[in-house]
Amino acid sequence: MTERITISGAALLLVLIGLSPVMAMVANTFYGDGGFSLGAYRILWSADGQLASLMGRSMLLSLLTAGLATALGVPLGILLGKSNLPFRGPLMALFAVPLLIPPYVFAVAWFGVLGKTGWLGQALAPDAAGFVSSAFFGLFGCVFVLVAAFMPIVMLLTVTYLKAVNPRWEDAARLVSGWARILVAVTLPPIAPAIMFATVLVLLLTLGEVGVPTYLRYPAYAAQTLTQFAAFYDFRAATVSAAPLLFVTFAILALQYRLHGTVLELGRGATGAPCVEIDLGKWRLPLFALVLGMALVTVVLPMAVLIVQSASPAVYLEAISRAGDSILRSLGFAAIGATLLTVIGFFCGYLIAYRTLAIWRGVDWLALLLFTLPGTVIGIGLISLWNTSLTNWVYATPAILILGYLAQYAILPIRMTSASLEMIPRSMEQAARLSGAGWFMTLQHITVPLARRGLIAAWLIGFVFCLRDLGISMIVYPPGSDTLPVRIFTLMANGTPNLIAALCVILVAITILPLGAAAVWLNINARHL
Amino acid sequence: MNTMRIIMSALAVLTLGACSREPDVVVYVSHDQVFSEPILQDFERDTGIKVRAVYDTEESKSTGAMNRLIAERNNPQADVYWANEPIRAEVLRQQGISAPYLSPSAEGIPAEFRDPEGYWTGFAARARVLIVNQNTNPMPTSVLSYNDPRWRGQTVIANPLFGTTTTQIAALFVLWGDERARAFMASLRDNSVELSGSNGDSADLVARGEFAFSLVDSDDAVNRMRQGEPVEMVYPDQGADEIGCLIVPNAAVLIAGSPHPDLGKRLIDYLLSRETEAKLALSDAAQIPLHPGVAGPSELRPISSIRTMRINYAEIAAKLREIQPFLESWLASST
Repeated sequence: MTERITISGAALLLVLIGLSPVMAMVANTFYGDGGFSLGAYRILWSADGQLASLMGRSMLLSLLTAGLATALGVPLGILLGKSNLPFRGPLMALFAVPLLIPPYVFAVAWFGVLGKTGWLGQALAPDAAGFVSSAFFGLFGCVFVLVAAFMPIVMLLTVTYLKAVNPRWEDAARLVSGWARILVAVTLPPIAPAIMFATVLVLLLTLGEVGVPTYLRYPAYAAQTLTQFAAFYDFRAATVSAAPLLFVTFAILALQYRLHGTVLELGRGATGAPCVEIDLGKWRLPLFALVLGMALVTVVLPMAVLIVQSASPAVYLEAISRAGDSILRSLGFAAIGATLLTVIGFFCGYLIAYRTLAIWRGVDWLALLLFTLPGTVIGIGLISLWNTSLTNWVYATPAILILGYLAQYAILPIRMTSASLEMIPRSMEQAARLSGAGWFMTLQHITVPLARRGLIAAWLIGFVFCLRDLGISMIVYPPGSDTLPVRIFTLMANGTPNLIAALCVILVAITILPLGAAAVWLNINARHL
Repeated sequence: MNTMRIIMSALAVLTLGACSREPDVVVYVSHDQVFSEPILQDFERDTGIKVRAVYDTEESKSTGAMNRLIAERNNPQADVYWANEPIRAEVLRQQGISAPYLSPSAEGIPAEFRDPEGYWTGFAARARVLIVNQNTNPMPTSVLSYNDPRWRGQTVIANPLFGTTTTQIAALFVLWGDERARAFMASLRDNSVELSGSNGDSADLVARGEFAFSLVDSDDAVNRMRQGEPVEMVYPDQGADEIGCLIVPNAAVLIAGSPHPDLGKRLIDYLLSRETEAKLALSDAAQIPLHPGVAGPSELRPISSIRTMRINYAEIAAKLREIQPFLESWLASST
């Protein structure tokens, strides 16, 4: 009974925190002229096809990004997760770096390479430099930056789910066939739903992305939502203009519904036997050079641009004086957000892993939907719901930011906890219960210690995503309490490129250093066990 | 368990720290943070009053703070709005969000840059100028140069849905009438004028030689000149029979029903002072002082020697709302 009440409470909390702002915002669109009104929806059919055109551009950007991210991420995932390529661990960590950083930071960095006066621009003839710069500011630039930013999702999910493939099937296939054919006929088909899930995730994240298309001047639909919010001072119109985006998100998620279920099932059949490794033979070093080159171009080069641009103690001193308080606040808010995300994520993940209640799939689906909604939409929803004199204690304090983080990022600890719990034999918990332990005692002494590594990883990922959040933060941050990503964005207006580069480097450092420290600590702990 | 206690204690301290309150004034700022923050820090130092600010982001095109003010109208959080142009202040007045306050510091500021009832007061202005790449020959002299076929595909303008570019377009609609202004906008499209994300982007594109000229704010032009970029600044339409140069002052606005109106008035007095205008003039913000006798940036002419556009900001605010659907439609057909 305690178990069901606690888990129901966690699920209800997620609904209240995540769904209620969106519902409040939607409900508000039906109110106008003192009563019920559909007036705000007129913009959908009076826009002369503009919205359809914008949606078309967004879909084109999303499809290209998702397609290329998959085309690159799957082979990379196979090489890094299943072959004898040298330095697989460090390479995987390097490729994952863009996932930890707001995509617009990479757009800023790439501008220093591909802009007319950037590194490449200076090396090329003026006409060629102009051509590259023009191509960067538009669809091609957006696709390039977003593929680098989101490709790690496909790569990491491929690596993860390759471990769920039964190695005995591959061993049997190796008796009669080479690896190329085995991959196509044996290894990839079972994890195709997971790859498709990763592709859909990239597609939806690109669809909701605002920062990169805005910076690179590509007219995307999510930016239209912001335009309605920003230029017309009309919240109802802003919400209504976001409705097609919500519809498309719903439709894509619904189409993926069956695959989604299969993805959740994948880990359950894992044998626990070691993964069969592909011997690359004579291709080992050429492929290593190729992968290393790719990492250098997509990750190291843009980071190097930022470091070179900001390489002066005076610039860093100015950055600290300009944004020191924002850095501390970001760390504090991210730590609180990650802790609460881990707690809610644990109970909701428990629900999904053990299917304690019939609503488990609904909870997972809701969290995924919230993750794919543009942060600006959730931000507007939070204002609609919480900006009252009775709820000032939430709205006028950093609590509003934390609520936003919980709404948008709950899926991450939920999925990670769920995956960790799948690895723990249910019999251990059952044995504790038969010995008379209550549910909480069982959690405290059996489940949580066994899932500890997964929970720490969930906290870290929650921390990273809260730290890099921009969409929600820039809409609802309380007066005098901005975060570092918001500060970077506000200082971009007439701030010097050196200062912006230094702040971006600081953001990257405070994101990666805790992860590095945690990785070292977990390794040391693992050796002692 | 000790680790858990330490974590929970740290979280409690962080939460309480973040939520702590002391007498303060809340200001929403649409002027660039890099320039406005030092002024607010000076105010804190000079008065001992803590300032809590919300700054606009470049992404929200300086309308994020404005939208928050409108969203919060039934439960105001801000005491003062530092608008980067008077049109937003006019919109707030029309929506009943601002309160009147005639500051003693406003004495000497020309009447054309103030609301007569005190719903907003202008200070520290920018001029809308043409930033021109030095390789351009001949130099453009008017906003009508955008229509000149010799510069087809060589000019850029910031997105007209946002910021001072919207104000400029609305001002042309007021001055010329709808028909002529719409024809002008159509000619921009026909002459392949490129759109940029902001005035700053436009200035960079001209400085890098990607375009010949662009209509930008004077601070954008002055900054590129100070950075040694190969650009020049042209005050448009200075001929005797021409429309003149649009002046866009900052505006200080007291918010109706604000939590700390007295502290808000003190901040407004400070913003409108000659000292603040002098600081904004001599900083990289390069604003033009409106108080007579205050020294301005060396690159800019004093306000008295510019042929300014004769316009009524309230009229422009009304026109701006009226032409928004047209601008959106124009934008869609131009991208």
